[in-house]
Amino acid sequence: MPNGTNRMAMVKATAGTLLLAVATFALAGCWTAPVATVQPKGDARLIQSGIPVVAVKDDATVQSIDADQRLMVLNFSDGTTATVKAGPEVKDFAKARAGDKVRVKVAQELTVYVLKNGALPGADGKPESIKSDARVLVVEPAYRLLTLQYPGHPPETVKVGLNTKLFAMEAGDDVVIQTTQLLALRVKKH
Amino acid sequence: MKLPKCCASAGLIVALLLPICGQCQISPAQADQLRAEIGHRIEALTVLGGDYLLGGGTFHSRTSDNEATFDVSKFGGSGEFGTLQELGNLNIAWRPRVMGNMGTDTVTNRFSAGLLEGDVSKSKAFGIQFGGGARLWFTDEFSLAPTLVGMYGHTTNEYTANSAFMMANLATAKAVGLVDWSADTWTVRPSLNVQYLFAWDRTLITLSSDITYFHTESFKSSSPNLNVNGDSETWNNKIDIDIPLGHMLFGHELRTGGYYERTGFYGDIKQGLNTGYINEIHGRLVLDFLNELPFTQWIGLGGSYYWGDRFTGSSAGIDFYIVF
Repeated sequence: MPNGTNRMAMVKATAGTLLLAVATFALAGCWTAPVATVQPKGDARLIQSGIPVVAVKDDATVQSIDADQRLMVLNFSDGTTATVKAGPEVKDFAKARAGDKVRVKVAQELTVYVLKNGALPGADGKPESIKSDARVLVVEPAYRLLTLQYPGHPPETVKVGLNTKLFAMEAGDDVVIQTTQLLALRVKKH
Repeated sequence: MKLPKCCASAGLIVALLLPICGQCQISPAQADQLRAEIGHRIEALTVLGGDYLLGGGTFHSRTSDNEATFDVSKFGGSGEFGTLQELGNLNIAWRPRVMGNMGTDTVTNRFSAGLLEGDVSKSKAFGIQFGGGARLWFTDEFSLAPTLVGMYGHTTNEYTANSAFMMANLATAKAVGLVDWSADTWTVRPSLNVQYLFAWDRTLITLSSDITYFHTESFKSSSPNLNVNGDSETWNNKIDIDIPLGHMLFGHELRTGGYYERTGFYGDIKQGLNTGYINEIHGRLVLDFLNELPFTQWIGLGGSYYWGDRFTGSSAGIDFYIVF
């Protein structure tokens, strides 16, 4: 047993450490699921507007198409509707028909607020109502990820730019989303 | 990428053949030692090829009477998938963890002195493993990941005798299973990972510790003298730092970072690899693809330097981190 002493010492030390760690945290687990329905800290305010993101929507439906203007009205599964212009790089634009189920990649701009009762203080001091599309669920500055919670739909994670003020954002912030451009399209079902 | 160890096989053959020289036969005690040592070597090579222990690369080790070269190729990874689920009302989150790896390693010993001068011993191992478990998050930072993995290994040895001594004794060496052997093995690999992950501004720092146990048995071998039945343990401790640089290249953010890790070997693997530990220091420069390319966290370049109590090594290549 040339290694018996070392092995036993290693096993005892490791087992002791791990058991202590496991026991400590098992008795006092304090993980909490992220929630978007919390009121963010501070006064109602605009945090940042015009945050460009690229979003992939797997199950959009084509409502109508204006082939001459290369405009398409899309209904997204989260209940929102957007009119988007397709650039020349969207090769499948001509194949799409109204009623088609499509997978699209779209450019969007986010505006993030802290709202009180769904409103911001207006210039005249009166509350200005803001209709938000989603709320912030998780902020991950390390990889510039923002997870958004849409009402009644699964969360979606988007990557934001380097200039986004992620450290000023937190769960519960309201997000207004403007879909600006169609970047790619694939017809899933006619 | 990595690897050290190998002179174990060289020294082993020399040590075990010396008695043959003196006595022209192997005693029962020597035969037992032979079986055990070859078993340790097979166990070590299987783990080396099929487990995460070392990455792909070429390594060299030199002793006074032989030079060994290790060629290791691997493909695999591990990760968690799905969204975090709460475990009952325990304030603990969990999600499944999968692990898979396959690889080969070839260890070539060239004897440059002594009775075996001019001989070449080449051992090849193929290993494939798959398994999984779960990661349990007790806080946003602290988690445990118990896993269980099964592994299959196939190891062979080819001996080229050029020395007068070995040319005279090759038949005996083959008969006792010292050279030109093959073995198929299975391994079970329970493991526990403890991890603490925290952010400092946008930099991520990960402290982790893995304790892993390997039990290996042979189920088929070329010689009745070759019977693998052994236990090994490894204990890996690692600190990783992941730093965003704030500059974009080709539309992706540059990141740098690296890690230092030390793996201690206990049991048969320590004898089979002929080293008690391996240190690795790794650096990388990568592009961030997380949430932009499926299953990819980053792609870039990385390099490692390794050292242990009987070897050094280095490697460089593509650094590709897969996530589920």
